[in-house]
Amino acid sequence: MNKTIKYIVGIVVLILVLYFSFDIQKLDAYKAAHSQVQFDASEFAQNFWETQLPECINDAPEINAVTKQMELNPEIVFQNHAHKLGISKTHYLFVKGSGTIESVEDEFLLVRTGENTNIQIATDFIFGNAVRDGSGKVDINKFVNMTDFNNVSVALNKLAKEKVVSRLQKSAKAGMTIEFAGAAEINEKNSDVTTLRIIPVNAKLSDE
Amino acid sequence: MKRQKLIKLIFLLIILSGTFACSRKHNNPSSNKIAVVISTLNNPWFVVLAESAAQKAKDLGYEAQIFDSQNDPAKEAEHFDNIVAMGYSAILFNPTDADGSVLNVKRAKTAGIPTFCMDREINSQDAATTQLLSDNFTGCVKLGQYFVKQMNKKGNYVEIFGLVGDNNTWNRSGGFHSVVDEFPELKMVARQSADFDRNKAMDVMETIMQAQPEIDAVFCGNDAMAMGAYQAVLAAGKADKIKVFGFDGADDAIQGIADGKIAATVMQFPVLMAQTSAVLADEYIKGKRDFDTKTPVEVILVTPENVNKYLPKK
Repeated sequence: MNKTIKYIVGIVVLILVLYFSFDIQKLDAYKAAHSQVQFDASEFAQNFWETQLPECINDAPEINAVTKQMELNPEIVFQNHAHKLGISKTHYLFVKGSGTIESVEDEFLLVRTGENTNIQIATDFIFGNAVRDGSGKVDINKFVNMTDFNNVSVALNKLAKEKVVSRLQKSAKAGMTIEFAGAAEINEKNSDVTTLRIIPVNAKLSDE
Repeated sequence: MKRQKLIKLIFLLIILSGTFACSRKHNNPSSNKIAVVISTLNNPWFVVLAESAAQKAKDLGYEAQIFDSQNDPAKEAEHFDNIVAMGYSAILFNPTDADGSVLNVKRAKTAGIPTFCMDREINSQDAATTQLLSDNFTGCVKLGQYFVKQMNKKGNYVEIFGLVGDNNTWNRSGGFHSVVDEFPELKMVARQSADFDRNKAMDVMETIMQAQPEIDAVFCGNDAMAMGAYQAVLAAGKADKIKVFGFDGADDAIQGIADGKIAATVMQFPVLMAQTSAVLADEYIKGKRDFDTKTPVEVILVTPENVNKYLPKK
């Protein structure tokens, strides 16, 4: 009798030990719970737009000062105002200024900002890393992979299109005055700024 | 009782000495050897990457050995086992799989061997000492814009992409589509992988052309596939109609642009990446520890307008 009780107690203990030794979950639920949080580039970009972009615009150098300095010594512009990523000859920077719209072209507004200075405010082909890297505020080392990092550029360009470019496409006309801030890229090998192309992140037309 | 205590003491000493030996072996790889682990040597581009890395390591005074993973993660894991066992000082690494290769790099790190990724990325911020990567996405954004202009914003195209497990495949594809998908009259009529392989790309393109008679262009994730696709297009007598776009800046593709066979490619710099990785490994061995986790390397769009600057030297 004693033996039977011992066996029963032993089996119960064994079952209890086994029962608490492991846990059964659905694989999908486990993976979802333990996978890294998916990076949301749109959310990141929206947050950047609201919290960091105003500072970038505020700190941006004036366009005519930049173009003048580029003619004298591009290196000073690269050192003081621009950012570049990794091993590269392309520099990105924010600029701001105002001018008169000389003409409305298919892909840009031609804007006269000074006596001898014309720049292009892009209204099509809003691509690339000018906004992301020109800000100098998006750190590649904080991203798990290049895909997430690159998606930030895509999301920022999308915001520029939605919030600024679409309005310029509809309303901009030759002869209007425009106040703008935006991001540009300059290559060391071709630092001619007579056709500097700016992706606008902020713009105000004279009749707005 | 005394005998039992003695046995216990000897047992403890054996464990402690074993632990000490292991930790010494893992934390201080003392050899003067650098391993160059390459995803495949079946593609001339990677041969250049491997040989440039090995040569630079030799120039810096190290013994260098090249390991070919043959695009097989299992083979790559074997190489890492051997490298750890043989106590190499550093690994210059071109991974086979962005996720699958992370464990190998972590194993080497645990053994005290730093890994420097070249060209291909692993999905980890802390496993590799640093990663030198072509800025594939940005390159394909440039290529995508050129593509759109060459196509006058409309037409049917095919995409042939590379290895599914490689981040470069998706960064290139993602960069291209981030531009091209903004133009609704550009329609992708077929999309298939050819594993970065020239012969596979030729077969894939032949099959696609049978199903899709109206194709205006094909975007390939590397130049080997672009050359394979071009062979298929040429054999079908459509070389004048279908524009072929590649990526890499391989000699035959650059020559192809000059000859009017290839529409454009994106030039990467494997020698620069390989040599810089070897220099960084040397700096690590000499005591430097502060490295950026990732360093993108700029790439350049090559078209008929600027191809003369990049033609291979004869």
